[in-house]
Amino acid sequence: MTSFKPTRRTLLKTGTAAAALATFGPGILRQASAQESDLAPYKSAQIDWQQVSGETITVAVIPASYFENLITLAPQFKALTGIDVRFEKIPPAQIRQKSVIDLTSKTGTYATHAADPMYYALYAANKWVEPLDTYLNDKSLTDQAWFQLDDIIPAWRSANGIDGKLYGMPYDGEVTIQVYRKDLYDAKGLKPADTLEAYMSNAAALNTPNDRVWGAALRGVAGAGQNMYIYPSIFREFGGDWMKGGKLTVNGPEAEAALAWYVDIMKKYAPTAAANWNWPDIADAFSQGTVASYIDAHSSASVINNPDKSKVIGKVAYARWPKGPSGKRTTSIWNWGFPINSALPEKKRKATWLFIQWAASAETQARTAHKFAGPTKRSGVNRTSVWKDPDYIKLMNGFGENFVEATMGALQEDTDVDWRPRVPQWPAIGDTMATAIQSALSGQATIKAALDDAQRRIEPMMRG
Amino acid sequence: MTAKRLRVFALLAISMVFLLAWAFPIIWSVLNSLKTDSDVLAYPPKLVFAPTLDAYRDVLFGSGSILPNLLSSAIISVGTTIVTMLMAVPAAYALARLRFRGKKFAGFYVLATQMLPPVGIIIPYFLVLRNIGWIDTYQGIILIYLSFSLPFAIWLLVSYFEDIPFEMEEAAYLDGASRLKTLWRIIIPQVRGGIAVTVVFVFLNAWNEFLFAVVLSGNTVRPVTVAMFNFVSVEQTLWAKLAAVSVLAMLPVVVLGVVAQKHIVKGLTVGAVKGGGRR
Repeated sequence: MTSFKPTRRTLLKTGTAAAALATFGPGILRQASAQESDLAPYKSAQIDWQQVSGETITVAVIPASYFENLITLAPQFKALTGIDVRFEKIPPAQIRQKSVIDLTSKTGTYATHAADPMYYALYAANKWVEPLDTYLNDKSLTDQAWFQLDDIIPAWRSANGIDGKLYGMPYDGEVTIQVYRKDLYDAKGLKPADTLEAYMSNAAALNTPNDRVWGAALRGVAGAGQNMYIYPSIFREFGGDWMKGGKLTVNGPEAEAALAWYVDIMKKYAPTAAANWNWPDIADAFSQGTVASYIDAHSSASVINNPDKSKVIGKVAYARWPKGPSGKRTTSIWNWGFPINSALPEKKRKATWLFIQWAASAETQARTAHKFAGPTKRSGVNRTSVWKDPDYIKLMNGFGENFVEATMGALQEDTDVDWRPRVPQWPAIGDTMATAIQSALSGQATIKAALDDAQRRIEPMMRG
Repeated sequence: MTAKRLRVFALLAISMVFLLAWAFPIIWSVLNSLKTDSDVLAYPPKLVFAPTLDAYRDVLFGSGSILPNLLSSAIISVGTTIVTMLMAVPAAYALARLRFRGKKFAGFYVLATQMLPPVGIIIPYFLVLRNIGWIDTYQGIILIYLSFSLPFAIWLLVSYFEDIPFEMEEAAYLDGASRLKTLWRIIIPQVRGGIAVTVVFVFLNAWNEFLFAVVLSGNTVRPVTVAMFNFVSVEQTLWAKLAAVSVLAMLPVVVLGVVAQKHIVKGLTVGAVKGGGRR
């Protein structure tokens, strides 16, 4: 932890200060940061960045440091293209709601927004967003040799694609991995689990509630992006297939075994309250030393390494998901991507594409990560080349042992496009499954009854 | 004697338990707002700690200051309350006193607007505001808030107006006062308590509103209920700051409640003709 010590306060200060500067003092920043030399790496692209100069677009993002860093650099984009970008920060739960309202009503309020990969099926089915290949293949808009689409993490591109067409450009993402207390594991001679079975027995070995240490914790709170973010990995690892014989299926023996494993570990070895925990709560508990291991997003590493509140700095290590009975490891595929709103007039669509191209480019990714002047560095960059950059690796390894290896291993080998059912009805299906998982966890229904009930509810949704 | 005292103690104890259940979240917020982040997470929860105003300083004067949001909330709530009262008082008086065609229907119509689930009308509201360019504006949000505050205020006030004995108005007419003058000079002073209660409720509803605000607001007009949400980020929950904002957002409501309390109690007990007509 010598190279990288983000603190919560500095994280916020730079993030929000940057946002404030971007809003109120663009003049100052433009002078300070948009030197001709700053723009050189972009100008090597064989396109006319200024082709729609004078346009203004609104971009909805969530309040998160990785977007704050991008907002800080917006004056450079303005200098490069002459396009004004107005950022609106909306919390994650509401950004989905607001963007769907905007898209259904075709008002074109948000030129692009930080989009949930699970929503592209819905977006594409309604033609609310543009297929990006039109823009990628237009030589006046994209210099493919410069942009290097192939460098962007393939799993995220496939997550944001429908029928082979890309609809949202990945900007920042994450994978779920095992996070564990190396000191506790070493004391008992344990190794990070290679199988779900071993993960259970590790949790059993370390579970000592009397000393306020619980064996493990997984997301318990109901929600399409909460318990339904962790359970799909277990389901797939147990050999589950969402589209069995072309029909969306959420029950059956594999599902029952997967849910039984989840309920078992949560009931036996997780703090009782974990049934209502979301990822920040798990990370908070782990940072206080009360949880020996959890499986969640690699990006939570910054919270458990926050010197302002963490008591476990230097004691953390990482590993990929344990394998399930099917022999597979299945991680989450999550990324915030940028689609282009179809309701925009052509010039604004072009301006939006230039913004997306800029934000997803290797240069901007590096400038918002290890090359960022502020103290918060991103751990979810979208490009393989950045993940291979020694400066970036050095920085990321500050989070603890095996961090880069576990993250990259998961990204390259454990991702699975069919991790969650990618259908336009996903929002409703996700909620139904979330409720079923929680009712099994709370004991309101048996595992089989909960899953069969979910299946009954989901079938009419799929007919519609 | 001792039995009576015992009963008093028992009642007191029971009310304390209820009070504590009510007060706990507030006490918890106040305590956490004075803690550092590591104290917030400490176990067992610290009751004795070195209090710090860092969280307040950060949320008020830091770079992510919520002062503009508090101002937004104040403009929206005060604006909604003033417009609502200006329209609700005459409307409620008319419904209580006047005889006109379709009065029953008008009364029902006002109530019917309250029967729609708010979620169901968000999208139409959004579209209407969007078409007239009023998204993310004060007039837009106040207009939408009127749609639920006005029926509510009218119905609350009608019951107060109905309680005023008609004899008082007749006395004023005999002295040569016009209807408007009677309303202003005789009736309104009598329903002051009712008006105070209505003002408090209308203000409170507007101040606490979240569902419409989150959809209809934007960067320019963002009330504190929406801004507060940004302290629950995807990366972590900033407990101390969230608690500090909550306490700040509670303050105006508490102050208003305390100030209006006198009128509210008066409104419930005092009448020109004692024992007359109150249901």
